[in-house]
Amino acid sequence: MWLPILGLLVGLALGLLVSVQVPLTYVKYSAIAILASVDTIVGGARAQFSGTFDLRVFLSGFVVNTLFAAGLTALGDLLGLDIYLGAVVAFSIRIFNNIGFIRRDLLGFVWRDRPAKAEQA
Amino acid sequence: MNGVPRPARVDARRAGFTVMAMALGFFLAVQAQTERTIESRLQVTSGRLGEVAYRYRQEDQRQERERREIEDLRLEMAEREQQAVGGRRALASLEESLARARMLAGLTPLRGPGVIVTVADSSRPLQRGEDPNLVLIHYSDVHAVVQTLWAAGAEAIAVNDERLVDRTGISCVGTTILCNTRRLAPPYRVTAIGNPDILQGIVLARGGILDELRTFDFPVTVTTGADLRVPAYAGGFEYHYARPVGKGG
Repeated sequence: MWLPILGLLVGLALGLLVSVQVPLTYVKYSAIAILASVDTIVGGARAQFSGTFDLRVFLSGFVVNTLFAAGLTALGDLLGLDIYLGAVVAFSIRIFNNIGFIRRDLLGFVWRDRPAKAEQA
Repeated sequence: MNGVPRPARVDARRAGFTVMAMALGFFLAVQAQTERTIESRLQVTSGRLGEVAYRYRQEDQRQERERREIEDLRLEMAEREQQAVGGRRALASLEESLARARMLAGLTPLRGPGVIVTVADSSRPLQRGEDPNLVLIHYSDVHAVVQTLWAAGAEAIAVNDERLVDRTGISCVGTTILCNTRRLAPPYRVTAIGNPDILQGIVLARGGILDELRTFDFPVTVTTGADLRVPAYAGGFEYHYARPVGKGG
């Protein structure tokens, strides 16, 4: 369970150390793509906790959601519509949902003996 | 699921998830850095980059226009400068011809090699009943000396420091000579600028005016000088009757 967190931290450190910058033209797309991957990771974490984690679903979700979010933003730019706002809202709601599930799972994990009560929190 | 031994399948899942988490961390950090750069450089969030780009383009166009304007102004300036140079050149040539005209009119003090011819009344005592004119220098004598010097190629002549110019007349006023508007008294010192040898040779020629004056015992001296000075004509030029032909009939 600590391994992914460690991975996240290592990734953060690497990204901060390496002075790579997103080209200005793509900043908007990469931001939404990152939000999509955050959503996927959180969803994956939730699946890990509930024991329904499937690597293929996770990986394909990661790639497809990321690309789709970026593509949607590009489409929005093409049409002059802020479609990316829709993606932001959708991903945010999903992230909150998943975080909620994870919270309950964690509560159940800490108080192993009282999982039923934690479910109602 | 923590700490409990699991099949290899679970490890693969965990590894994949970890790699993805790492990738996410990496991209997050890169994005954050980029965002921070944008905000620190442009003072806007990346969401408003389009607006910045629009402003930038406008500013760029404005700069381009101004650059072109500067170029035009530079060209114009160069042109004006050229004109000014032309004007200065014209002015310089005008000044040059004016200086030459002043020199021709005798309004410029001159210096150069030449001769000084001095003639004075004779100191010979008059015989009884003799005409005193015989021992006096007349205006015609001075005039003859001057004319001889002109003929010998003198470029500028002054008599007793009175410059001779085109309209100078030499005439007689009682016992003195009137030259221009000044009365001159003997001795008469004629300063002429020109080739000293030629001037001296011609003015002293046998049968010439000085030869004649010497015959009548007038004290005559001719000296050459390497750097003689002739003053400028101090009088005026007034034309009441004469006017140039052509312009204005």
